[in-house]
Amino acid sequence: MNPIFLKIALRYLLKNRLYSFINILGLTVGIASFVLIMLYVNYERSYDTFSGSEHVYRVYMDYKTGDVFAPGDAQVYNLSGPTIKQEFPEVLEQVRLFHMGGVTLVNKETVLGENVGSLADPSYFDIFPYPLIKGDKNTALVEPYSIILTESLAHKLFGDENPLGKTVSTFWGNDVPMTVTGVMKDISQNTHMKNSFLISFDTLWTWEMFEGQQELNWANNNFFTYLKVAENSNIAALRKKIQENDADGKVDERHDIEALERIHLHSNKPYEAEANGSANRVNFLSAIALIVLLLSWLNYVNLATAKSLERAKEIGIRKVAGAQRLHLVWQIFSESILINGLALIIALTLVALTLPWFNGYMGQELMVALPNLYSLWPFFAFILLGTFISNLYPAFILSGYRPAKTLKGKIQGSSQGLLLRKGLITLQFLATIVLLIGTLVVGKQIRFLKNQPIGAQLNGVVALRGQILDQPSDSIKNKDFQVLKKELGNLSFVDAVSTAQTYPGGGYNNLPSFMGITKPDGSFEEQTVYYQYQVQPDFFKVMGISFLAGDVFHANAYGGGNDIVVNEQFARKMGFSNASEALEKEVKYWGQTWKIVGVMENYHHFGLKTVIQPMLIRPGTATSSLLVKLDDSALNPTQLESAMASLQSKWKSVFPESTFGYTFLDKNFEAQYNDDKKFGEAFGFFTFLAILIALMGLFGLTSYTILQRRKEIGIRKVNGATVGQILSLLNQDFIKWIGLAFIFAIPISWFAMNRWLEGFAYKTTISWWIFALTGFLTLFLTLLTVSFQSVRAASANPVETLREE
Amino acid sequence: MLLQLNNIFKWVNSGGQRIFLLKDINFEVKEGEFISIMGPSGSGKSTLLNVIGMLDGFDEGEYQFLDEPVHSIKEKHRSNLYKEYIGFVFQSYHLLDELTVKENLEMPLLYKKYKGAERKAMVADMLDRFNIVGKKDLFPAQLSGGQQQLVGIARALISNPKLILADEPTGNLNSKQGEEIMELFKQLNDEGVTIIQVTHSEKNAAYGSRIINLLDGRMI
Repeated sequence: MNPIFLKIALRYLLKNRLYSFINILGLTVGIASFVLIMLYVNYERSYDTFSGSEHVYRVYMDYKTGDVFAPGDAQVYNLSGPTIKQEFPEVLEQVRLFHMGGVTLVNKETVLGENVGSLADPSYFDIFPYPLIKGDKNTALVEPYSIILTESLAHKLFGDENPLGKTVSTFWGNDVPMTVTGVMKDISQNTHMKNSFLISFDTLWTWEMFEGQQELNWANNNFFTYLKVAENSNIAALRKKIQENDADGKVDERHDIEALERIHLHSNKPYEAEANGSANRVNFLSAIALIVLLLSWLNYVNLATAKSLERAKEIGIRKVAGAQRLHLVWQIFSESILINGLALIIALTLVALTLPWFNGYMGQELMVALPNLYSLWPFFAFILLGTFISNLYPAFILSGYRPAKTLKGKIQGSSQGLLLRKGLITLQFLATIVLLIGTLVVGKQIRFLKNQPIGAQLNGVVALRGQILDQPSDSIKNKDFQVLKKELGNLSFVDAVSTAQTYPGGGYNNLPSFMGITKPDGSFEEQTVYYQYQVQPDFFKVMGISFLAGDVFHANAYGGGNDIVVNEQFARKMGFSNASEALEKEVKYWGQTWKIVGVMENYHHFGLKTVIQPMLIRPGTATSSLLVKLDDSALNPTQLESAMASLQSKWKSVFPESTFGYTFLDKNFEAQYNDDKKFGEAFGFFTFLAILIALMGLFGLTSYTILQRRKEIGIRKVNGATVGQILSLLNQDFIKWIGLAFIFAIPISWFAMNRWLEGFAYKTTISWWIFALTGFLTLFLTLLTVSFQSVRAASANPVETLREE
Repeated sequence: MLLQLNNIFKWVNSGGQRIFLLKDINFEVKEGEFISIMGPSGSGKSTLLNVIGMLDGFDEGEYQFLDEPVHSIKEKHRSNLYKEYIGFVFQSYHLLDELTVKENLEMPLLYKKYKGAERKAMVADMLDRFNIVGKKDLFPAQLSGGQQQLVGIARALISNPKLILADEPTGNLNSKQGEEIMELFKQLNDEGVTIIQVTHSEKNAAYGSRIINLLDGRMI
């Protein structure tokens, strides 16, 4: 490239500051948005990918409802993995993981609560290639009571000491000493199965906490199971064979497999290891990123061609002076490259600067490693290609002008070119209207989620939990909990207290389920998953759950009993249309008979993304959390801190050796929608940017059309048109395009947003006012942008525009 | 009396210097006159015509049009004045390329308060009068220069102005076409329309009843 061109280009940019600014800003915003979103999308897609991950599959359960099987449980039996490996030669290896949360690890004075890890077969390292820094991966998980810690966990527990061979007290329910046999590298965050420690699987057979499931059986499906399949295996055939295998002898369920890499974005089964991402969300964001980038290019092309008219004379003079078309293409192209290069550099700087903030916002480490950057090359290639094409077009248009005409100032963009630009601007409108409708629908749904009554009063309820380090015996612990409960109940600002296994919004954690129930009419049913958990009778008062019929159960002297409270959905499943009919009826599951003494109103245990499940609550002493209902005075921000402090001091007075933590149930419940909320915010933000870019493009096109129509405006004015009449003439075209875009946008956005809403069991409606508001808003913004220039053009003196050449 | 100019000055300031475009212009025009403005390039002919047509302002002096003081009335009033009484004819016709002959003729009527049927009648009348009925659906690009100028004049006449301002109306035409246009002007003038034309050609000027000569913005 001739440096003189670059010099001229730079001069030109500086001379046309507003134009350069709008151009560079639009491109910068487009590229930066695209790169940021793609980093996020790429991160979401990178879950569970490692060398060989494409050959790893997870086994899960399908349950039969009516005649069809549907995914029912992410976990399978402890016999599933070994049986599948034995039966099918293409399965090279299997690993079972028992996932455990809330584990407290203790080394002398160091107490670390809330750890997440797994029991794992020794074959773990044959499937997941996480390197061991210390220890031997072939033996580390063989002996019972062996534990492997991640590097950072080991450092927290042992500092700089070598942890190998040392003992860690492992509290999960009760205290068990484990021997450290290995230290592994920290597992990257982009996996659905986050483990900060691994315990040898064989520990299960003797660990007291697993009493009742300490044999190989087809009864307890609490095990995540992964298979490594030989390369070139026919996966479809293997899947079919696994589905048809009836080793467990159960008719209403079957085993199934899915690719490991697909779990994070495509699996949303009960009992997942964590709340997974959503392919839907990722696809929507990708689409937005693409739209924003394309808009910024359209915008660039529009502005560049519009501007080119002003330069037609310069082009004519150059041509007369002997410039070949290619020279001119080169010159204009080098200018474009300058603008685009600048925008690219600014955009990447912007991304680098905002990435830490964006990471914090998304709660993720988007740039985990350099390989991640390499995997972004298609996106960068795409950016470069788009830049190249969008720069070439104006260059060819501009260099094609005929010198004789341009010198006389008679430039007329071809009508085809104009049609193309009109088409582009209509496309811009279409995209922005769709995005705007999307933003409004997402916002409406999120408001709907927040405002929908969930059937329980979570406001002011706090769940206390902690690991009791000095009370190995459950019975003593339970007695102490009763003491603590009474003490807390005596506090002036506490309305009610109860222990509970779980609570609304607690998800599948600590929530056992069963299939197979004998209904009150004596029939046996095995096709529905029923959820059940234990609480103390005060639970219903704490949660403000109301009853349709009957009342709270009474616990027996040991805190247990066989009286149960069921929800309305459960009563309906039992065949009762009226809640009071269910009272005093008996059901059988787990080999015991239970009597229904109360029917509570349905409440949303899993949030509004899932339909209400049949559920029952029974008396029991499980102490996973201690629920405290605070009264309004304590919730006052000035009082809250001291209230929480007195709760903690009561806790510490009863359990001096313990950890302490708490959760507010309303916040916890809303946290289920965090991803959706963030999605909504991101959607809104990038829609705003898209609109900004589109309006800048519009600004460009307006100046172009007005330039084109200067003569016409002059003639009309000389013939008596008023400013108002000229304005409406100039604006009606835009209104026409918006109308056209709007007509296409309605079905597209309707379809797209319905797709998005499918992810929610309970959803808002896409109301007519959303479309009306969007149409009005688009029209308003457009006319504002257009009028900015058309007013000036319409009030210009026709003498100027009609001056004879 | 149709209009009267008294001591009209118009200037631009350029580089600290005042350059006069019009200098002390005085003349009056009676209804039914046919005036030719002549002078070399840059002598201010077009500027004067624009001032008379109220498309351009002036810096000093008085301008009476049908006893209305143009120099002191409001813009809206002024535009109503020229909308009603003045028609323009240009050297390069200034027809709208995207409109047909018929639509070009109708265009000025859209900016005045005529009903659809009225407009149609007026356009038909004009097409008839200029013998261009057969061309009514053609676009300007499909016409010869003379025909385009014919349409331009028809358009200027359509709302029955008292005054036609023509800026070198034959400048882009060959001599035969030019003659025809000038004959047309003559005929219009005989019918009572006042005409002021700017021209380079003595021959064209001879069609008029009076000649105003300009040099460097001054009447000589």
